[in-house]
Amino acid sequence: MSIELVCPAGTPSALRAAVEAGAHSVYCGFRDETNARNFPGLNFSPDELVEGVRFAHAHGAKVLVAINTFAKAGAMDAWKAALANAETAGADAVILADLAVLDHAATHHPNLRLHLSVQAAAATPEAIAFYADTFGVKRIVMPRVLSVEEIAKLNAAINVETEAFVFGGLCPMTEGRCSLSSYATGKSPNLTGVCSPPEHVAYTEDKDGTATRLAGFTIDRFGAGEQAGYPTLCKGRFVAGGKTSYLFEDPVSLNAASLIAALAKAGVTALKIEGRQRGKGYVAEVVRTFRAAVEAIDAGRTEVEVGRLLAGLVEGGRQTSGAYKKAWR
Amino acid sequence: MAEHFRGELPRLLRLLAAPAGFLPLGPALTLAVRRFARRKPAVFDRLGEYGKCSFLIEPSDLDISFLMVPDGSRAEVKCLRRRASQTADVTVRGPLLVLLGLLDGTFDGDALFFNRAISVSGRTDALVALRNAIEDAELTPADFVGATGGLGRLVDRSVIGGLGLARRFTGSPIPGDPS
Ligand code: SF4
Repeated sequence: MSIELVCPAGTPSALRAAVEAGAHSVYCGFRDETNARNFPGLNFSPDELVEGVRFAHAHGAKVLVAINTFAKAGAMDAWKAALANAETAGADAVILADLAVLDHAATHHPNLRLHLSVQAAAATPEAIAFYADTFGVKRIVMPRVLSVEEIAKLNAAINVETEAFVFGGLCPMTEGRCSLSSYATGKSPNLTGVCSPPEHVAYTEDKDGTATRLAGFTIDRFGAGEQAGYPTLCKGRFVAGGKTSYLFEDPVSLNAASLIAALAKAGVTALKIEGRQRGKGYVAEVVRTFRAAVEAIDAGRTEVEVGRLLAGLVEGGRQTSGAYKKAWR
Repeated sequence: MAEHFRGELPRLLRLLAAPAGFLPLGPALTLAVRRFARRKPAVFDRLGEYGKCSFLIEPSDLDISFLMVPDGSRAEVKCLRRRASQTADVTVRGPLLVLLGLLDGTFDGDALFFNRAISVSGRTDALVALRNAIEDAELTPADFVGATGGLGRLVDRSVIGGLGLARRFTGSPIPGDPS
């Protein structure tokens, strides 16, 4: 098969939209702190997952279940239940990050295929071999800090599949190791499944525009008509050394669409689209475009023709090819 | 502060819509939401505790606004004259056609907010929950009037077609348009 497209589904209707738009696989999570997109109103109940898997399989697509937060010491029941529910639903794989959850899955659910979440931040042959040998992990979702050349080298040194993010929101820190949200709100993607949780977010309008506050900290201010963004701390504007700037990272989103062929050549098995919190219309549009591009590459069409297919794909705001084309300041 | 948004209704249509403030819109919408809650309870499970929050929906191009508490079979919608100063857990403001597009999934709520086609204030978590529940609901115009089968399809086709035309006419943001 050609390169696999792994697409986001925050709700059952987004799952159906992604499958109908041509996703080879869909990833989703349960409605609790076991997955790293634990936003209010999002995600699946165990029954909805059963129905979603049935729908995806009937259309020839797979379902990967993200159980990718770090379990609480002495309170692992939610993670154990999530693994059992994923297996009962017939999920094709689970995406895990925590050692205890990986161990529990390998011991008690030997038939579940294990993928290593980007949250585990495994980027060296040694780390990857540890997860593969110890728990039987079959695929690694790679941290978004590697260049295409580094991915090619890594793939030559490991014997598991790799999956690379190609489109959507971007975590500029090494995943799983960022404490900005914990510092400001006491909640983090690693433990509670959400960065900069919405109950801590407030937008206030005044004569100068809109101020964005996270847990009482003003992290940005937008003039009328200026593009805003979801207020994750890493993309806030701060004053340091007398200068106002995006201190950690510009508010850009990832678009590595032009690198699909290069990533395939570097040995990547699957391409991942970010956006479980995005609407089904958006998901369907992005999936349809990427599917057409993947097929055009398979059919040996030229780079110009593939580029034309992808030209309409803009997420709003500014985009970057991230670390794939090495350009760190 | 008077805000103006892209895609507002022309003045003539606003004047024509003015008498809507005197119609029993609130009770009719309350019935529609409760009927919908009976047919698709999963949507309200998704909202969870946020179903008890109040949402003030203010079409920026009309003189009326709607106060909604989407609490399943106890849901309530009130139609208010704009001048009534009302507080709510969440306020969403924007052109009527854009707000309707949020309901039927034509528009992505995130994109609209980030592009400033709508403005929101209040409890962001409640708004995120409502948006996600609506997003999954696959609401159609027929759901609101309780029409099913062939009649439902007819209602959907005419209302969605009509809204599409109206959006083009008023210059509403185009779905997926980042500008
Ligand atoms: S603050 Fe930024 S880098 Fe850190 S977890 Fe949140 S999105 Fe990722």
